[in-house]
Amino acid sequence: MKLKRLRITVATADEDKKRFIYEGYEIPKHQFSGKDIIVLKLDNGYNIGIRKRKDVKIDIIGEKDISISEYKNTTREIKKRAGISILNCGGTIGSRIEYLTGAVFPYVTAQELIRQFPEIKGITNIKTENVFSVLSEDITPKHWSVIAEKVYEHIKDGAKGIVVTHGTDTMHYTSAALSFMLRKLPIPVIITGAQRSSDRGSSDAKMNLLCSLIAANSDIAEVAVCMHASINDDKCYVHRGTKVRKMHTSRRNAFKSININPIAEIMYKNLSFKKLSNYNQKGTYSVKDMRFDNRINDNVALVYYYPGFKPEMINNLSEYDGVVIAGTGLGHVSTNPFNDKYSKSILDNIKMLIDSGIPVVMSSQTIFGRINFNVYTTGRMLKEIGVIGNFCDWTPETAYVKLCWVLGHEKDYDKIRKEMEMNLVGEITDRIVLIDR
Amino acid sequence: MKCGIEIHQRLDTHKLFCNCPSIDMGDKKPSMIINRKQYAVKSELKEIDIAARFEQNKNKLFSYYYYPECNCEVEADESPPLELNIEALRIVLAIALKLNAKPVDEIQVMRKQVTDGSNTSGFQRTMLVASGGYLDTSKGRVNIITICLEEESAGIVKQEGNRSIFRLDRLGIPLIEIVTAPDIKDPEHARETAEKIGLMMRLTDKVMRGIGTIRQDINVSIEGGARVEIKGAQQLENIPKILNNEIKRQERLKEVLAKLNKRFNGKVEFDMFYADMTEIFESTESNLIKKGIKKGGRVFAMKLPKHAGILGYELLPDRRYGTELSDYAKVSGVKGIIHSDEDMDKYKINEEEIKLIKIALAMKDDDAFILVVGEKNTAIKALELVYYRAKMDYVPQETRKVIKEVYTAFMRPLSGKARMYPETDVPPIMIDKDILDSASKIKGPSLEEVQSFLISKLNKDLASKMLRSRNLRLFLDIIHRLKNIDPKIVAVTLEESLKSLSREGVKVNRLNNAFFSDLFSLYSKGSFVKPAIPEIIKYYLDEKGKLSIKDIIKKYKLNILSESEVKKIIKENDGNIKRIMSKYRLVIDPAMLNRLLEGNDKE
Repeated sequence: MKLKRLRITVATADEDKKRFIYEGYEIPKHQFSGKDIIVLKLDNGYNIGIRKRKDVKIDIIGEKDISISEYKNTTREIKKRAGISILNCGGTIGSRIEYLTGAVFPYVTAQELIRQFPEIKGITNIKTENVFSVLSEDITPKHWSVIAEKVYEHIKDGAKGIVVTHGTDTMHYTSAALSFMLRKLPIPVIITGAQRSSDRGSSDAKMNLLCSLIAANSDIAEVAVCMHASINDDKCYVHRGTKVRKMHTSRRNAFKSININPIAEIMYKNLSFKKLSNYNQKGTYSVKDMRFDNRINDNVALVYYYPGFKPEMINNLSEYDGVVIAGTGLGHVSTNPFNDKYSKSILDNIKMLIDSGIPVVMSSQTIFGRINFNVYTTGRMLKEIGVIGNFCDWTPETAYVKLCWVLGHEKDYDKIRKEMEMNLVGEITDRIVLIDR
Repeated sequence: MKCGIEIHQRLDTHKLFCNCPSIDMGDKKPSMIINRKQYAVKSELKEIDIAARFEQNKNKLFSYYYYPECNCEVEADESPPLELNIEALRIVLAIALKLNAKPVDEIQVMRKQVTDGSNTSGFQRTMLVASGGYLDTSKGRVNIITICLEEESAGIVKQEGNRSIFRLDRLGIPLIEIVTAPDIKDPEHARETAEKIGLMMRLTDKVMRGIGTIRQDINVSIEGGARVEIKGAQQLENIPKILNNEIKRQERLKEVLAKLNKRFNGKVEFDMFYADMTEIFESTESNLIKKGIKKGGRVFAMKLPKHAGILGYELLPDRRYGTELSDYAKVSGVKGIIHSDEDMDKYKINEEEIKLIKIALAMKDDDAFILVVGEKNTAIKALELVYYRAKMDYVPQETRKVIKEVYTAFMRPLSGKARMYPETDVPPIMIDKDILDSASKIKGPSLEEVQSFLISKLNKDLASKMLRSRNLRLFLDIIHRLKNIDPKIVAVTLEESLKSLSREGVKVNRLNNAFFSDLFSLYSKGSFVKPAIPEIIKYYLDEKGKLSIKDIIKKYKLNILSESEVKKIIKENDGNIKRIMSKYRLVIDPAMLNRLLEGNDKE
């Protein structure tokens, strides 16, 4: 890319200084820059915006070539000894920003990644594959299937651990989906990301990635998320893929285990691994035992209940094959048992969905705790009409992902209910132990 | 000599990219300590800044004291920045207008990399607001190159080995940075320029006052020497001394280089050669070395060929060429180095030990050695840094910090433009007519206007005191509002009476502008006499502000006596002026007393 060197002369009314002169390279401007603004990079490093006007004279006084990274989608790296595969699926961690154009590029090669994080070499062999470069919020259930398939391929190829780099916003959906799609795993599948981009001196990308490599090198044989444990650069937690959730918009330790403890921690200082609770261990299953099944039905809705919720909204869900509600408290929505004049029960509307064969699954917007339909009249009414989820301690997201997966395999309501309410991959726990937070 | 200055002044408003108040937590304990690491990153032009790389080599740990009173997620780098503090921008624009500078049309917020850990994010947010101003001084015009608005860094608390501890209370306080052209003629001129810019900024009444709120950096280039940025000159009076010392240091360095070049026949070149000497020091008498070994450290000796006598060459009092090398070594985290031009008795290193070092390093007579004690990696890093510095056959470009008030020590290599890259989290900010108009409203009067006004109203000494006073704007406001008041009384009260009250232990800093407005407005109406002013202040504070000044006057009987009352007193005291004044000093108007006494005489 060629950058033009400009001299911009601005006439002024100030008698002492007849004109102002700015010299620098014109660079692409910010999305929110004014219409007539030219952005110059001055020789002192600062960028400034100058408006094109009648009294502004612009001369091109030079040019310079700047190498701009180009997006190259290379597939598999050269095959090495069995090591850890890093599958780049976009997000902050797997990309870097091109400041001049504002474009975001994925790390493509293992070399590039190693150049950025030379410590990787000390841990293990890696190979990388750039699966796709997608923003977290652009991820769809189709992407889950693609990632699962890639992971499966790498496992068959002999990888001894997998690290998936992923945007953090929807990381917990992907981790849940991979948990359902990749059963009887012989090796760890670790998903990680960054809350601070690598273009900052304070980025958490390096620590998260190195700790993830340690997790991927461990005896965990599950899908798990590995991210900062605290706001210090001291350790990472490894969270079970179905029991983790992003709980903060921006903090390093945004990811929390919900209703269980993290399964392991990795100290950054010496990259030591410590088991914190039980997990499926390496050696239990071989590659041959593994079951890969990425069939899903993504025609599922996840709706958030709130006090002004209109019953018609439920009717509009009849196009879907399944519905997950993030209800209040123990798993409630308005049923209006006392016939209050303002309240609008949605019980009948839900019943209509269920009667037409659409499974309705309950989760709670409190995030922590278990669904229990037995305590209040409302719960009992929901249970009676066939809402699924009593005694489940899943997050709304995991309930949603699970319903997608179950609907990919079952059509029969009773079988769906049975499958949903049964723990498949650690998404439902039978005991919630008190955790001091 | 070519010299320009950079002035950093804290603005009196909340933090630049969040809504935390700008307050100093003093000795208060932090509620939390955050531990982090940082990395060097490339600029948009694909370069890693030399200063950044230098710092990164240190593999440092950073700890941050967190205060919930004035820190939120933003200072902890746990949340992106919020909107720019527009009031801060307005103040900078006002000062830019005062300095005849031209604001840019659209501000682009930048990140300036700082890997010394002084910012949790690894960069300081900064933006160029205006350029091309000027300032007239007694030695001619000084041009202003740039006026920037930036975040204050975190304050260093202490350094322990490879860990630096910072406090976050001041992180993010808005700073104006004013950079002058190298138009400064001499060290005294630097002082004058810095003072003048400081006074001009204070006329806006929107900048912070007190220790640490203004800092001057000095950029100096010396012919045949190098460009050096000197950070942290707090006292204006010291600027000439600092500059003179820097000139001398560079001149002496040139002498050192000349000697070295002669010894090396034109090119200072040698290999890095060092040995682990821990074993020979196992039963040493030297406490310093003993302590280091006890803590698990190693002792390394490195040869500096043909450096004998050079290391001890004095650059400034108490600072030798060896000190320059030591400053570099310290970057690694060691406390310093010992070199062979020093008195070894001082360290209790004996002849035998020196002999063994010389043998181990195969030293010739004109060779020198240095000793470093510390944890193995840290010590080797220190040796590398000394080697790196010793091989420079030129005066290096450096950022130096002021030490012992008038000397400087190496901080890091001078940073270049490669450490600037765009802050993508903050959109550009248009400078429109509205903000320029509101900026010109808070500009305040011009320095020349105020100077000539003060001289016309006060004696020279008091005028100069008032010009530098933090109460200047208050003084001007009172004088403009109360036309019949004697400016001298206001100035003396604000500058002298308050000081002596404060010395007596009266908490005068609890008084606000409204109090003084009231006080002088009542005084100008003739409610009380001048000597009563300190009493009113004392009683007002005693009453903890619960009573108004009027109530204080009533309660403590400080109201001015009427003519008939004074007449009565004169009669009672047989017209003895001494006696009357000693008794009624606080309530009698001396002018009235004189007039009435003169009347008595006539009768």
